[in-house]
Parts: sequence; C-alpha cells; structure tokens
Amino acid sequence: MKTNEDSWKIDAFVDGELDLAGQLEMEQRMEHDDALRAHVASIRALSIAAREKADRSKAPAALRERISGLAKASRPPAEPTLPRRQGVAQQLASALNGWLDWRPLVVSMAAAVMLAVTLNAVLLRSSKQERLMDEAVASHVRSTVGTHLVDVLSSDHHTVKPFLSARLGFSPPVAELPLPGSLFVGGRVDYLDGRPVAALVYRQGEHIVNSFVWPDSAGNSNPEFATERGYRIAHWAQGGMHHCVISDVNREEFQRLVDAVRSTAAG
Amino acid sequence: MGDDDWRRFEQLAMPHLDAAYNLALWITRNADDAQDVVQDALLRAMRYIGSLRLESARPWLLQIVRHTCYTWLKENRPQEKLLFDDPEDAWRDLADASSTEPPEIAIRKAEREQINAAIAALPVGYREVFVLRELEELSYNDIARIAEIPVGTVMSRLARARGLMRSALAPTRPALRTVPRPAQAG
Repeated sequence: MKTNEDSWKIDAFVDGELDLAGQLEMEQRMEHDDALRAHVASIRALSIAAREKADRSKAPAALRERISGLAKASRPPAEPTLPRRQGVAQQLASALNGWLDWRPLVVSMAAAVMLAVTLNAVLLRSSKQERLMDEAVASHVRSTVGTHLVDVLSSDHHTVKPFLSARLGFSPPVAELPLPGSLFVGGRVDYLDGRPVAALVYRQGEHIVNSFVWPDSAGNSNPEFATERGYRIAHWAQGGMHHCVISDVNREEFQRLVDAVRSTAAG
Repeated sequence: MGDDDWRRFEQLAMPHLDAAYNLALWITRNADDAQDVVQDALLRAMRYIGSLRLESARPWLLQIVRHTCYTWLKENRPQEKLLFDDPEDAWRDLADASSTEPPEIAIRKAEREQINAAIAALPVGYREVFVLRELEELSYNDIARIAEIPVGTVMSRLARARGLMRSALAPTRPALRTVPRPAQAG
C-alpha cells in the first residue's frame, strides 16, 4: 500500500515537478506497476480534458475599459505649478547671492529666510490641498463608474447613520437635502486624506453627488470652491467635521447643493 | 499614481486581466461578483505597482486577485467550505476498481459541461489550485505564491483536486452506474 506522499508524488511526476532522480525513479516504477500506470494515464487524461474543454473566460470589454479609465483618472493632473515656483525661489536666492555685499547682507539673509519659510508654508499647504482634491475626484469617479456607489443603499438616514457610525468610529451628520430633485441614495465608507471617511451619496437629477465627511478639530471655515478635471469641489470645516462635496452639476446648482449640505450639517 | 506607474500598470498588469478575471470567476462562480472583485483587486494593484518586479507580473497580479476574492468570500459567503478535511487515499481504490472501462477513457469522453460542473463543485481551496495548474498552466512555485501556501500543500491539494475530479468524471463502480451518454444530434 502506498502512502499519501506517494499520491502527491505521482501528480508532481506528471507535472514534471519532481527532481531528475524522482522523475527517473517514477518511470522505473511505472514499468512494473499496472495500477500506477493507469493512475498516471488518468491524471494526464484529466489535464488534457481540462485544458481543452474547461471554460477560460476573458475579461468583459466594459470591465477592461473601466479599469483602464480608473488607472488614467488616478494619474495626477498635468504639470503642477510647484517646480516653477521653486525655480522662482531659487532665482531669488541666487540673485541675493549675487548682491553679496557687506552692509545689506544681514538684512538680505533675513529677508531670504523669511521668504523661503513663507513660500514653503504656502507650497506645502497648497500641495496637501491639491492631493486632497485629487483624491476626492478619484474617489468620486470610482464611485460613479464602478459598481461600488454605496455600501448601504437606503434613503432612510436612520439606517445609514448607524451603519456608518459602526464602521467609522465617528458619527457623521446624515440627512436628506432640502432641494428639489435631490434624492438620498445611501452611504459608504471611503478613504481620503489617509483616513476612513463617510461618503454620503445623493442623486441630483442625472448627476451623482458625493459628500465626504470626517472629523476635523479646526474651527468652522467658509467653503473653498475649486474645479478639478471638470468636477466641482467645495470643502469646509463645520461643527467639528470636515466636509468635501463633489459633483459635476453646473455652478448655480452646485452652490445650492453646498448651501443645502451646510444647512443640514448645522442640524 | 504617477505617469511612470501608470505606464507600468498598463504594460505589466493589464495584459493579465483575462487571467485575473478567469481566476476570480472560477473562485466566485458569478460573473457580476467576479467583475467587482477584479476591479477592487486592480485598484489595489495600482497602489502597489511600484513594488512589482518585471518578471513576475502574472503571479503578482493573480496573488492580489486571489487575496481579494478570499476577502470577498469571507464577507459575502462566510458559509462557503474552503476545503474537505478528510484524508486523501482514494486514488488507489479508484485505480483498483474492477472497471469495465479505465477511468482514463471515461475522462477523455467527458463533455465540456461535465468538466465545468466538476471543477465548479470542488471546494474552493482545491478549485483554485486546479484552475491555476490546468487552466493557467502555472508552476507549483507560482501557485504556492499566489495561494499563499507551501509547495507541499500545493502538491497535496492538487492531488486531492484531481482525485475529486476523477471521481466526478469517471464513476468508480461502472458495474452499478454506467456512464450516461447523451444522444448525439448531428
């Protein structure tokens, strides 16, 4: 009687996965073991049958396009202005170097340092915001082209709120928007700015609206508006939460949307 | 994802999308679910494309797809049985059976539908190894990497998968159960 190990060895032999000595030994054994020979023949027959007849499905064209689109959308927008602004800073610095003279030296150095610090702070903040805008657009696009628009499909905010609270560790304000033509679709957990966030999904006519919410200890701020790759984005802090609304509706409708989100967030 | 990464993704990952979909479809056995899983997996692949070495794109991507499938199964079908836990010594009984027709012949005669149904009926832990070996024609090493198991486990699961396939396609007691032969129309 053979052991289990032998049974695996036979399969590995058929697959050519034994070392040379193992392959040769198995060939020798086959010569005077009818059952082993029959077993090997049945494994080979199975391999051939599976390779010839089993379904090998190709990815649907729509899936392929969707994924290619997502990959394209996740690229950063064309050249950011960052390098050029750094160039200006460098030019200033070298100009300052060129002026090196005894008396204005201290003042100039101080001015250069101040300038550099200010520039850096501005650039850092703007690049962080750009990244956030980028992520928000990518997330919005993903939700609209994919099949994953919402985790919980419900127009009832009493269903959506506990669902999100349970998964996020904070409780986002969830409500229908007091706007004509607005429909609350549901919510999902998403990832923005390096943290899990609540995404509330509305339908405004034909358009999808994503309203992202996450805790933010900064004080209340007025909405900042931006346009990224054809999407309108507004974000602001309110009631201990950061809000980021994104959609492709027109400007007037977007303003009304943002007002409606702010009024419901104010409770 | 920067421009370089995007190019890498298009050149290295996208050519294996069919294999990715085929694996996801065999694991989930549902076209909609397979599409969802593949999309999720490819989004993950975009994030990690920087860590991919040139020569290993196919197993690399299939590992991500397989991992995403399992996460999905756990969330959506927690009752799905991943493996049988019985010992695997059935092959000799099969080979020794006093058969009027060798299993080899019955297997060769198996129809497309029978083969698909037999693969689909395998517990998923055996099914994935069988699909990776017979349909994707991957080496034991690649399969071990994709399924995150040792090569020894690949061997035992593959042998078990084939044993189950054989018993499905070549009945062990032909004296009691003849192989049904569908009437051929033309």
